[in-house]
Parts: sequence; structure tokens; C-alpha cells
Amino acid sequence: MSRIVNVSMSRRQFLGLGAAGAGVFVLGMSLPLGNKFARAAVNNSGDGTLNAFIAIREDGGVIFQNTFIEMGQGTYTSIPAIVAEELDITMDVITVEQAPHGPEYKIMFNNTARFTGGSNSVRSSYDTMRKAGATARQMLIEAAAKEWNVPAGECTTEPGYVLHNASGKKAGYGDLAPLAATLQAPAEVKLKDPADFRLLGKPVGRTDSLAKATGTAEFGIDVQVDGMLHAAVKQCPVFGGKVKSFDASKVMDMPGVVAVEEIPDGVAVIADHYWNAKQALEKLPVEFDNGSNASFSSAAYLEKLQSRLDDTGITAEAEGDVITALANAAKTISADYHVPFLAHATLEPMNCTALVETDRCTVWAPNQGADFVAGVTKDITGLPLEAIDVQTPFLGGGFGRRFIMDYTAQAVTLANKHKGTPIKVIWTREEDTQHDFYRPMTAARHRAGFDKKGNLVAHHITNVGEGPMGRLNPGFLENPKIDSTVLEGVEKQPYAVPNKRLDYVHETVAPVPIGYWRSVAHSVNGFIKESFMDELAHAVNADPVEFRRGLLTDAPRYKKVLDTVVKMANWKTGTRKVDGNDRAMGVALHESFGTLVAQIADVSIEDGEVTVHDVWCSVDCGFAINPAIVTMQMESGIAYGLSAALAEEISMKDGKVDQANFNSYPILPPQKMPQVHVQIINSGEALGGIGEPGTPPIAPAVCNALFTLTGQRIRSLPLSRYTFT
Amino acid sequence: MTTLTINGKQHEVELDESMPLLWAIRDLLGYTGTKFGCGIGFCGACTVHVDGKVMRSCVTPVSAVKDKSVTTIEGIAHDGKLHPVQEAWARGDVPQCGYCQSGQIMAAVALLQENPNPSDDEIREKMVNYCRCGTYLQIFAAVKEAAKLQGGSA
Repeated sequence: MSRIVNVSMSRRQFLGLGAAGAGVFVLGMSLPLGNKFARAAVNNSGDGTLNAFIAIREDGGVIFQNTFIEMGQGTYTSIPAIVAEELDITMDVITVEQAPHGPEYKIMFNNTARFTGGSNSVRSSYDTMRKAGATARQMLIEAAAKEWNVPAGECTTEPGYVLHNASGKKAGYGDLAPLAATLQAPAEVKLKDPADFRLLGKPVGRTDSLAKATGTAEFGIDVQVDGMLHAAVKQCPVFGGKVKSFDASKVMDMPGVVAVEEIPDGVAVIADHYWNAKQALEKLPVEFDNGSNASFSSAAYLEKLQSRLDDTGITAEAEGDVITALANAAKTISADYHVPFLAHATLEPMNCTALVETDRCTVWAPNQGADFVAGVTKDITGLPLEAIDVQTPFLGGGFGRRFIMDYTAQAVTLANKHKGTPIKVIWTREEDTQHDFYRPMTAARHRAGFDKKGNLVAHHITNVGEGPMGRLNPGFLENPKIDSTVLEGVEKQPYAVPNKRLDYVHETVAPVPIGYWRSVAHSVNGFIKESFMDELAHAVNADPVEFRRGLLTDAPRYKKVLDTVVKMANWKTGTRKVDGNDRAMGVALHESFGTLVAQIADVSIEDGEVTVHDVWCSVDCGFAINPAIVTMQMESGIAYGLSAALAEEISMKDGKVDQANFNSYPILPPQKMPQVHVQIINSGEALGGIGEPGTPPIAPAVCNALFTLTGQRIRSLPLSRYTFT
Repeated sequence: MTTLTINGKQHEVELDESMPLLWAIRDLLGYTGTKFGCGIGFCGACTVHVDGKVMRSCVTPVSAVKDKSVTTIEGIAHDGKLHPVQEAWARGDVPQCGYCQSGQIMAAVALLQENPNPSDDEIREKMVNYCRCGTYLQIFAAVKEAAKLQGGSA
């Protein structure tokens, strides 16, 4: 039955109590020196929760405070496994909790940030988590040595126990934890030799499977708090519009209705439960002031983008002299591409629950960064950050959507008006589709030149559009004038071309909300660049694989990934008959988030429908700390990218989104899922990300196969706009 | 008062019988394992059984099920033992975000009740719920595995 969330004790308080001696050993781990938060941590060392990742119960159970959220990508398994490896425990004794907000958990990028995205979780925390585990292990060893009066150097561990072989003594971590907690954390610890890894590099089972197979995993939408009311919301359909007026009196008598409130950009009906709130909202007379954006259309924006493809804009990269090389080339090719706006379409719609009291506040928000939740809550309530408790349940998908705190602001705004009453806001699918922060529409022109021998001598790229980072986080841009979230994926390319140039033309898409969509601009540029490479190969009658290999002379790591997938797929050029139907393969190779992925798609047209039968995928992320999760993320990334390539498109007319639900924004159904074959290459290079890099190559792999199959070159998506026979 | 039979237990609830079953079981009775995804019966996250048959509870009014037996994800394990489908799901590490998986499992349980030994094609045809994480291949494999666990095939 229902589980009532205990609101009387936050995790922060729980850990605080534990440190005070309630049988829980909390490890205080110093952050690397030279960081402002490390200094703050030292100053506040009386607070037992500072920098705490690991707590050990008397029974030997380990509570791990994860700084990364679980949205399917496996962080509730991969991150604790890193700790477990060094701490020397088995996975089954770990309970994973989501760490509270606060500077002590900002462990990314030299301890300046904490969020879950950018395929950063494992690679940004690997060293820190190893050290956290190893430090705790060393403290347990020292506690045992002290108790047994033997040198710590003579003690060893086996999962969950410290041993002293000479005397035959053995003690469980749970028994040693209280003493260990009183010891000074060692300044330096020795990390394991990777050759001795028990867990890392192995397909360790997920910690969340059982809960998710029994319906007991708690998502944000499932949060239940005593006395909770439910809110249904309607936002102005036109971006940037406001509420002009509404007549609450028309619905106040409806069953269960408690209040009607204005929220940022919209209205909310609060009722005893969700259905009553939604029923009343549908009957509520609301008039919106559409503001100045009611004439915006995506078609007109596309024309604007395309009209600027010859602009120079700002040159982000240049080698040689591309203009002269193109002018002198024996053969030139120019191709214009564009991609549509896309929605994240997480299966769990946006939702948030908040309880504001006079001096404190609890927010249950599916989020990709607890500090973002705390920040928006502070702004609305005026409460200090210390008084704000952020609870992060499992996310029913994130894909970049839950960085943005619009839905959180709504719940906190309502709860702030109704102090003492917890309020849960749930969006309809229609609100979710029409008020997303979309993958931006982008247009690009690629031009290339060959010399008389057919060698590629020039490649000139112009990307026109606006990126989410420039809009949302301009401070993160290396060069404030160049939005890397428009250019990533065509920057720093491995293909050897003597003359190349990359131009960025900024064309704002305000008023459309734009955001980070799984793999961000790599989803745009992976498609365009790898499709264009295919065009180039065909232009000189080269095999698309051999053509790429010829340009990868100085990029052996890329070449290996490509060669691996070619071998896996038993790559074939041209078309062939399978079960009486024409089939063709398409290939794509793309690096994103530090990980190299090559994919080959085997495609046919069945009754006019693009059918992808098999996808072979080779991936080099340096070292796959959990090969099972890496494989699953490749499958997942392929499904997400294929879904978009086949049929996803957000279009806008009169300032509003045309699509509303899955019947107009179709996501990949099971019947369209290809067989996926994944091979991992542990190259030993720096760790790369895994949640996103599977997505960019699939669209070009499929489209390149379609060219071979039909002769039709796909220069825009989705494929549902094309007719194939 | 309306009587609803959920997982073999009778509940007396006061509600407008036009309320979709989904919201009655989630908000009034606290069975939150069944999820809201689209509200138009498209995605299948809300899949439950009504008299043993799959039903999309987000578009099924309470009035249509009040004399019937409703089973949710919370009602398929018995005597502390997971249903074979749940076991296959957990062992196979099928879920990623997990949001659709209650519905997927309910669909699989119904499929195996109808046909204890479905072919690959039948599984692909009958397992129609959406999964945004793209766990479809793992879902298909787990249905096969569950069939084996149930003794449906060797």
C-alpha cells in the first residue's frame, strides 16, 4: 500500500544524528585542497555531514550518499560500485540514497558543480569515489589495528571485514565503525591496482531492478505526504504569454476544489486529488495575454536560418585557407541540412511536490541537480538554503529536461501560498509536450573540395542557430561569442583535411524555450557531419568505410572503433536481397563526451516504412566500469536517436506548439526497435561518458543506408516527412 | 460509496465513477506502482488487469470496473514470492528509468497467461507499451525468460 514519506527528519538530519552516535559511522572526507569549499569544510568540521558519502551501520550495512541521480543511466549502480571496490564491500550491503544539496556534494569540475548530465557522472567522480571508498577502508583498518594492538600495515580486508592474519583476528565493518568514526581520515590513501578489481570492469547487477520490477520504486509522481493536496496546471499556450484573467468562482463548487491560483505563466487548480483538480481546470474560464510572440512559427524561423547560411558569422576553427582551396578545387560539393525542434518526452511527466512551513521547506523534485531545486526554492520562499530540504526520488527519464526548474517553481509557488500544506503538481502529457525546453532547430551548410586525384582538400562548415548553453548557462561557454552547444560534434574532428573552417552564425530563437536534449548538439552535428561524409564518399565513388579510413591516418583510436564495427557487421557496400527485399547498410562514426562510437545500421523499406533490422555498435569509452550498463546505454541511446530520426518533430505556429501527446509526437514503439549488437573496446584512454554517446551516430547510419537503398539523400529529419518506395 | 476490488481486496471509496481507474487506485487507494504517462491510453504505463485482461487504466472509468477484479503490479507477487515475470525482469536488469516497467510487466503477465510459450514474433506483436529508455530488447528477452521460469518452455 501507500508509503507515507516521513517529513519530520531529513536525510541531512538523519546523518547528523548518526554522527552523534546512533550507531551510524559517517565518514568525513576532505575535498582536495585549494578549493573554496574545502576550506569551508574545514571550518565547519563540527558538522558530521560535511562531505559525507559513506555511513556504516552497526549491522555492516553501508549507506551511500550519491551525488548523481538515477534516471535510467545506471548511476545508482556504477557510482556505488566504485566506492564498493575500494571500500571492499559487496554490492548487496549498499543502500543508495540521494545526497542533499549543498557545497559539500559539489564534486565535479574541481569541486565547483554538481549535476547529473553531460555524460559526466562516472568520469567526473571516478577518482573522488575511489578515494572515498579507500579512505573509509583505511580508517576501518586503523580502528581494527588499534583494537587489536597490532600494526595497521599487517591488517587486510575481505568484503565487509578487517583481518589480521598473524593472529587470526577478524572483525566486521559494522563493529569497527564506531571507533573508526573517531579517527582522523588519512591524508593519502593507496588505491587498488586495477588488476585486482572485483567489481569494476564487471557487469555488476543494478541496485534498482528489484524495486522497479515490483512497482515499489518511488518516482516524484508517487510521493505521498500526509495532508497533501494536488494541483493541475495550465500554462499560456503561447510562449512568453501571461494570464490576463480567470474566474475561479466558476469552479470553486466543483468536487474537491480547494483553491485556484495564478502561477508563473499560468493557472493552477488545487484539489483533494489530481482528477478533481484536472476536471476543474478544464472548466476554469481563463483568458491569456499572448504577448508579443503570437506570430512565431518554426517554418519562418527555418527560413531565417537558411537565409544566413552564407554569412561568415564568427569563425570558431580554421586550418589552412579553405576559401582558396575550395576555389581551386577540381570538384566541389555543397549541401544544406537542417533538423527540427525536439521534445524530451520523458515518460514521467513533469511533477513536483512541495511543503513550505514558516521556517523550513521540503521539496520532492525529480531533478538533475539538487542545488538547482534549492536555488529556485530559496528565491521563491526567501528561506535560507539551510532550511530547504531537497528530496530526489527516481526520475522517470530525464534526458536533460529536468535541469530546468519551471515545474519546481510552480509547486513551490503554490506551497508558499498555502503554508503547511504539501502540494503536488502534475503536468498532463499535453503540458509536458507543449512546455518543454526543446532541442533547438539548427541549419548547416557543408562545402567540400577535392583535388584532381580525388583527395579531400577542403571542408567548410557553417552552423546557424542558437544553443542551450548560450541561453541558459552563458557563464560556462569558453568563448562567450561562440556557443559550443551549436558547434559540438563538428569541432575538433579527426578527419584529416588540410583546409578547413567552422563558422558559427548566431540566430536567436527567442521566444522558444530551448534546452539540453540527450547528446545536445552532437545529435544535430553527428547526423549532418556523418551524412555529409557519406555524400563525399559517394562523390568520389569510394566505399564509405574506406573513405573515412583514408582520412583517419592520424587517428588510430577512431580507426579501431570503425574497424571493429565493420568487422562486427560484416560490412557490405551496395544493396543486397534478404528475404526477397532490398537491404543496405549505412555507417557513422562520432565522438561525443569523450567516447567514440561507430554504428552500422542495416535498413530496408517495408510497405513504404523505414525498417531498421540490426544495428552494430562499437564503443570506446576508455574503460567500461560496468560493461552491462555500457551496453544498455548504447541500446538506449540508439533507441532515443532512432526515435527522433524516424518521426519526432516539434513544430510551432502562432507562437504555440502543434504537437500535444504521443499521437502527434510519436516516440519509438517496441515494434520499431532493431536488434542491437554492442562491442566494447577498453582502450585505456581517459574515461568517456556513456549516457549520451550512443545517440548521435544512429540517424546518419540509417540515412546513409537509405541513400544506398533509394538514392535519396536525407538532409533533414524526421524521416516521416519523406516518402519511400 | 463505490466498491472496488483491487488485488483481491475490497475497498469502499467515495468518488465520481467517471474518474479514470488510474487516479482512483493511485490517489485514493495509494497503489502508486501503476503510472500516468499520457492519459489517452497510448503509452501503456497505466496497464493493469481487469478480470485478468490488460486494461489501460488512464482511460477506463471506475464505473466500468466496479463489479470486476482489478490487479495491479502490487498484486502479482504471492506469499512473498515474486511473480516469474518480475523475477525475470529483476534478474535480467530490464529496467532503466523504470517508469514504464510496471505496465510492461502487467502486459507480460497477461501475455503469458494467454500463451505460456509465445514465439519471438508474438512477443514483439503483443508487447506494445512504450519505453522511452528503449529497453525493448531486454523486455522481449525477459518475457522469454519468464516463460521458461513458469515452465512454459524448455
